[in-house]
Amino acid sequence: MQKTGGQLAMLVVINSLLLVAGALISGGTFLSVFNLQSMASQVPEIGLLAIGVMLAMCAGNGGIDLSGIALANLSGVLSAVIVSSFLSATESGAAFSLAFIAGALLVGFAGGVINGLLISRLNITPILCTLGTQMAFMGLAVVVSSGKAVTVGSPALLSSIGNDMIAAVPISFFVFVLVAGVVAALLKFTPYGLWLMLMGTNPKAAVYAGFPKNGVIIATYAISGTLSALVGVIIAARNVNVKFDYGSSYLLIAILIAVMAGVKPEGGYGRVICVVLSAIALQLMSSLLNFSGLSNFVRDFAWGLLLLTFLAVGRYDIAGFLSPGRRSQTPSVPVPQAPK
Amino acid sequence: MKSFSKKVLAGTTVAAVALAGSIGTLVAQEKPVIATVVKISGIPWFDRMNTGVVAYQEANPGVVASQSGPATADSAQQLQIVNDLVAKGVNALAVVPMDPAVLEGTFQRAMERGIVVVTHEADNQTNTNADVEAFDNADYGAALNERLAECMGKEGKWTTFVGSLGSRTHMQWVGAGEENAKKYTGMELVDPNNESFDDANGTYEKAKEILRKHPDIKGFQTSAGNDVLGVGRAIDEAGLSGKVCLVGTGLPNPSSDLLESGAITAIGFWDPQKAGMAMNAVAKLLLEKKDVTDGMDLGVEGYNKVSVKQGPGKGLLILGNGMVLADKATYKEHLF
Repeated sequence: MQKTGGQLAMLVVINSLLLVAGALISGGTFLSVFNLQSMASQVPEIGLLAIGVMLAMCAGNGGIDLSGIALANLSGVLSAVIVSSFLSATESGAAFSLAFIAGALLVGFAGGVINGLLISRLNITPILCTLGTQMAFMGLAVVVSSGKAVTVGSPALLSSIGNDMIAAVPISFFVFVLVAGVVAALLKFTPYGLWLMLMGTNPKAAVYAGFPKNGVIIATYAISGTLSALVGVIIAARNVNVKFDYGSSYLLIAILIAVMAGVKPEGGYGRVICVVLSAIALQLMSSLLNFSGLSNFVRDFAWGLLLLTFLAVGRYDIAGFLSPGRRSQTPSVPVPQAPK
Repeated sequence: MKSFSKKVLAGTTVAAVALAGSIGTLVAQEKPVIATVVKISGIPWFDRMNTGVVAYQEANPGVVASQSGPATADSAQQLQIVNDLVAKGVNALAVVPMDPAVLEGTFQRAMERGIVVVTHEADNQTNTNADVEAFDNADYGAALNERLAECMGKEGKWTTFVGSLGSRTHMQWVGAGEENAKKYTGMELVDPNNESFDDANGTYEKAKEILRKHPDIKGFQTSAGNDVLGVGRAIDEAGLSGKVCLVGTGLPNPSSDLLESGAITAIGFWDPQKAGMAMNAVAKLLLEKKDVTDGMDLGVEGYNKVSVKQGPGKGLLILGNGMVLADKATYKEHLF
């Protein structure tokens, strides 16, 4: 458990550090309410995708979900096309919004179940399966929308999800935190969470122990798919339009966030709170670089450096390495919980 | 306890070094800030635009003008940059949208905050104060065709290439070309609107097919940036350089060999450098609450007498006369 606390503490430190650095560089505007709101409303898209990736990784056996952003776009596009064929966004705003959200969640859930079925029943390696479904989802979105952006418009309810605040906090960020909380609770307090982690640790033992393996896998990808759909809804709410190729760079960023949050790529371990903090850290960093007006190529470099730093600190005892005097005794000594 | 805090300390130090190394200086500025955001940074077209923004900055010390853009061709990344710039509180945005539709929501929020929004290559953008286009698409298509007709001696078979049938500007260009060719009764359009998908190799294959099918073809009018390269190579290899005419959109540097050999008769384009300067000029005018009027001079070559129309939204549509037609004799003046 000591590693857990370390990762969490480290993420907290990095986030605070980025906030301080931002304040120094921008002379305060980085911490202005408007910018904090702006960043908070940018996080949910990528944060929710990263939680989906985390769940898939936890399932072990090379679990990963590459279809996230493609499914998010498909949910938005398909739902927008279907719902706007019988409801008008301008006339019946609330009904349109509800129908759109329900439609999108349904599409996302279905897409996730398809992933789960393919992986559990047909035993396809997750990385290949989700690569395939990613292309299929994207292709379907292209066909449905004829490759053009589909206008969702700003019906009352949907536009408030994208633009309004509750107590100065963007609603989309509330949704993000709420959903993250639900997933965290699911992992911590239900048998599903226990099964998922134990199965990720040792799939063979899990089978012999009589875990409902297929059920767990299908549930995992279904949750991931539903999270993607939620991303699709948030994209539509914020951008007014949805398009099949939106966020093609999110795929790798979501994986980066999950790994940075200490999720084990080989399965069996991951914490939602760390993923949330890790997503926030990436957002802070990229906004910071945009604030300082640096080239976006520097951002990729900085992200990579941040990831390597995390891996190095997590895997090797950098502290011991830096101070030779302590080097001999640190590696295997159990480390107490993080100081408050 | 000690070892743990050391770990954290080491981690933060490394991260701090990483940050310090990657963060430049941002000075609190009193002057109005005009931020140019392009589709992708690091490609020749937008590097050329950056020279325009830099030149504009030098000529106008009263404003702060700079250019940025995403490292990957993804509209979500461009959106994020625009979002951060809005939060940072720039005074004006000059954006070349990757996808106009994706940016509508953010532009709307930006304009509600009193930020001036100017766009380019987005004449369907509704949430913008002004969209600046280098030229009227119909005029451009007609000019390309006129050059082609001149080369063909105003008679013979000719055909057209577009990037894709869904590409709005390309269809406008060849449409205007066809209109223009109707003036000359000797010109006969065969197999029009071949799709090239901006792929030089695919275009090359298709052009070879057309040369086989119509051995007496005299002219090609192409649209996407790589089409002249594909068709030009086919003409060159068939030994028809100088006998078959080829006029289309292309960039001077990549086309230079084929222009020299005579396989390409002339290329048409607009200079992103001037477009960048024009966007910034319009942004500055709007910041100063001045009107942009029909026939106005923006002080940028090719935008000396702009025509101003009502755009699709509340904003203006500003058309310059920034079209450049270059042939073997003149392309060296525009090397980029």
